[in-house]
Amino acid sequence: MTTTSPAGLRRPGRSRLSRVESRQALGFMSPALVGLALFTVVPVGLSIVMSLFHWPAFGERSFAGLGNYVELFTANPDFWPALRNSAVFALLYVPLNLVVALSLALALGPRIRGRGAFRVLFFIPVVTPIVANALVWKMLLQPQGLFNGLSVSLFGVELPNFLADERWAMVMVVVMSVWQGMGYNMLIFSAALEQLPAPVIEAARIDGAQGSRMLRSVVLPMLSPAIFFATVMTVITALQVFAQPQLLTGGGPGNSTLPLVQFIYNQGFKFQQLGLAAAAAWILFVLIIGLTAFQFRAQKRWVHYEH
Amino acid sequence: MRKRTPLLAGTAVLATLGLAACGSGDGGSAGSGDGTIVWDMWAGSQSDTDALNETLEIVEAENPDLDVRLQTAPWNDYFTKLTTNLSSGNLACVTSMNGQRLSTYADAFEPLSDADLETAGLSRDDFAPGALDIMTHDGRLLGVPFDVATMLVYYNKDLLEAAGAPEPENGWTFDDFEATAKAATTDANAGFAVGLGEFQWMALPIARSGQQPVDESGALALTDPSFVDAATWYSGLVTDQQVALPAASAADTGWGENQYSGGNAAMAVDGTWNAVSYLGNDAGFDAGMVNMPAGENGSVSLVLGSGYGIAKGCEDKEAALQVLGSLVGKAAQDAMASSGRSYPARAESQPLYFDSLDASVRDEVKATFDAAFADVEGQRSTTTWDQVNTALQPNLVSVYNGQAEMADVLEQTQQQFGE
Repeated sequence: MTTTSPAGLRRPGRSRLSRVESRQALGFMSPALVGLALFTVVPVGLSIVMSLFHWPAFGERSFAGLGNYVELFTANPDFWPALRNSAVFALLYVPLNLVVALSLALALGPRIRGRGAFRVLFFIPVVTPIVANALVWKMLLQPQGLFNGLSVSLFGVELPNFLADERWAMVMVVVMSVWQGMGYNMLIFSAALEQLPAPVIEAARIDGAQGSRMLRSVVLPMLSPAIFFATVMTVITALQVFAQPQLLTGGGPGNSTLPLVQFIYNQGFKFQQLGLAAAAAWILFVLIIGLTAFQFRAQKRWVHYEH
Repeated sequence: MRKRTPLLAGTAVLATLGLAACGSGDGGSAGSGDGTIVWDMWAGSQSDTDALNETLEIVEAENPDLDVRLQTAPWNDYFTKLTTNLSSGNLACVTSMNGQRLSTYADAFEPLSDADLETAGLSRDDFAPGALDIMTHDGRLLGVPFDVATMLVYYNKDLLEAAGAPEPENGWTFDDFEATAKAATTDANAGFAVGLGEFQWMALPIARSGQQPVDESGALALTDPSFVDAATWYSGLVTDQQVALPAASAADTGWGENQYSGGNAAMAVDGTWNAVSYLGNDAGFDAGMVNMPAGENGSVSLVLGSGYGIAKGCEDKEAALQVLGSLVGKAAQDAMASSGRSYPARAESQPLYFDSLDASVRDEVKATFDAAFADVEGQRSTTTWDQVNTALQPNLVSVYNGQAEMADVLEQTQQQFGE
């Protein structure tokens, strides 16, 4: 947005040169601008327009104003549950993921031999296709699956029908998601741990810091930028969760594991109400932007940058 | 900051252009515009695709001057893709449609007159009685059926024999059904497997109550007392009589059918379209089949099936009709029947279906098909029928697991979609 020409210093009026330059700059930018407009601005704009219309996949469209938003909040039987499910998922998934990832990263610290191999192992779920992961988990969790089979034959205890029981389905979606997602954050934390400034650690050690004291007062504060980054990204992916519930539980039983994105997908592609789906997508967007902005504001209180 | 103006203006202009371009795409130009007739069809496996390619060869041999292109997608994705194609006005000229979903997509198809059928080289009399109802919506014929189907009860002869359970026979009653289900339930396997798919679960409640969940005026009637009673009895097979296992996940659309084909349940309900695959099941058990048991109001079952329609706005309707005529013509239908893939809609091709079967089961299958198709009625559906089933499915899982009441679920769904 700022120009390099000195014209910016002379407030009243712009020099001819700067106008020529800005036109030239626009010319150079235009290929990128066309791409941005075509693939980002237009679809985003169109989705706002869509959210204001009754927009069936085919057939007559009609202007609805804020009707879709009103319908979502007041009439739709699945929208509030979907919001609740997304919130529950995020509240369970984000802390669990961060704690597990951080513990793994700390456990695989510099003194462990073969830690590279372990990191690869824990990272494998991140890179394997989620469809395959979900299928395997489903086979483990169903009543005729491995877990129940083992439990019955070893202890004679019948396990609950994990994916079809309202009290368990969400828990299992979270567990599978943590297993799937922890490797990524673990890598981030591992990288940050390796780069901790040795002099600071050494100084702390000379001052007598050890064990949990070292972790709490030295390591964690120095890791805080990495933790902040991981938190922001994990919250965003948690609110966008779709594949795990879609494949594992189908959003069921009832709507007990139906998150917002799956709700949007159902509205758009199964119920063919693209307007309603677009409106719900904008609500999700506002939610994500709001939470992310809040995190950026709150970071001043707990994130320590070195410089 | 001043430099923002041209940038914003440029973006706005581009955005407007883009919107205008999107807005003008509504014409619905079907086909690819180069004279090629696109035929859109579902296919879930390589063998499906191979069979379709054989049909394509027949169509091309019969229409040497036409260029026909086959497009496929797996069953579940097919309708998602169809919706996307529809919203972008890109529906293939010849589009396959499942009868149960026709009402949702009725507006997308060109109604066919008798003159159109003649252009396609077809006549109404070519088809089995009731077959054209499959592709009829609101009194308009929107396509031509290629197969007819109805629901059957499939059973595992080995499991029934091992448990000493009475073997079902055509013309049986619900008391017989319960007796078999109970006797066949053992520690190792269930006597019956409940379904999650629309008619995989609804067929028995419909047969028992003699009542479709859509009334004759075409309104959703999930809360019809006799249907609710029958549906409650159905879920009670899991929760009260305990002759069936609760479904493991709402993502398992084919729960009951998979339980049966895996040898975990002695009986399940599925369409005639799967008769051949059950007879040659991978688990290696002896499969049998019977018609729906009869309730107090006799045995009510529905004629189902799929067909091909011509997309509205197809640029070359005449050519599309010719392709359509070949797709359901004698040669293609004979080929489909004698491969045993599906029970053809064309009456004269139907006997070939039984010829394709192994001699040891041929008579039994024919007797069951005759009994099952003897007294079928057309399936009624609403414009939101597909959505009703999408909404019901995850709730059925709660019902089977005893965490919701069937009556409440039907009531809720009726409120959401019944108007």
